[in-house]
Amino acid sequence: MSHTPFILAAYLIGAVVLFWAAIAPVISKRSLLRQLKNRQARMEKSQ
Amino acid sequence: MNPIYLFFHKTGSPPWFYKYSGKLIPWLWALFLALTIYGLYLGLFVAPADYQQGESVRIMYLHVPTAWMSMMIYGLMAIMGFIALVWRIRIMEVLVISSAPIGAAFTIIALITGSLWGRPTWGTYWVWDARLTSELVLLFLYFGVIALYNAFDEPRKAARAASLMSIVGAINLPIIYFSVEWWNTLHQGSSMGSDGPGIHPSMLLPLLLMATATKFYYGANLLTRARLCLLKQDHRKRWVQDLLSKESN
Repeated sequence: MSHTPFILAAYLIGAVVLFWAAIAPVISKRSLLRQLKNRQARMEKSQ
Repeated sequence: MNPIYLFFHKTGSPPWFYKYSGKLIPWLWALFLALTIYGLYLGLFVAPADYQQGESVRIMYLHVPTAWMSMMIYGLMAIMGFIALVWRIRIMEVLVISSAPIGAAFTIIALITGSLWGRPTWGTYWVWDARLTSELVLLFLYFGVIALYNAFDEPRKAARAASLMSIVGAINLPIIYFSVEWWNTLHQGSSMGSDGPGIHPSMLLPLLLMATATKFYYGANLLTRARLCLLKQDHRKRWVQDLLSKESN
């Protein structure tokens, strides 16, 4: 039995999970900052 | 003021934490990447195959560090949760809840890579043995902490409930660690026993490099998540408004 597919699958899945766990808060932060900036701009406009 | 108190007061202040953690994050990512590249090179191309397990032993360089991290992060969550509950330090509450998704990610990787290592080694992807089952319970504990935090509307109450659950769930850690000694399991014994490492230095070095790299990953990811959590919680506060104004200009 060749072990290569098991090794490749392990590292590929590991990389995907770690990458997603790392990138998810960055995406959330960008979206939150955009929301907050829009809200701030709206408030400044209404004043 | 006593310099030690002053230090804790400063580091516990959200604006200070947000500012200085932001400077630290790129360095932690750089160290993680450098150690991972070197560790993977040694583990996948330089270290020899195992005389019994063959090439499948190379999964160890990912499986073992992630399994260690899954336990270490939960242990840290229990300690930080204790500090958060006793001394009411908000940063600790934020760190507890920010740690949980990272710990869950490491546990998922440990379980999947273990399963992929088990197939060529044991002939099966999964058995309900003590080590595997207790590690699966750890994953459910992480999910439980995340779900409990999200079940509350008030973030500080939510964080305190999550901290308490982290402390209670820590009972599972010695069960995972000693499971291979207490029960007759299919899982092999500890790679780093109390009487020193049981593996050859050519395999030990990449293993330790990868184990150190995962610590830097945790540090970088934890600080990124903690900063996001602080922004969410304090979005109406002055320091966040100032930050937004500064970024807009």
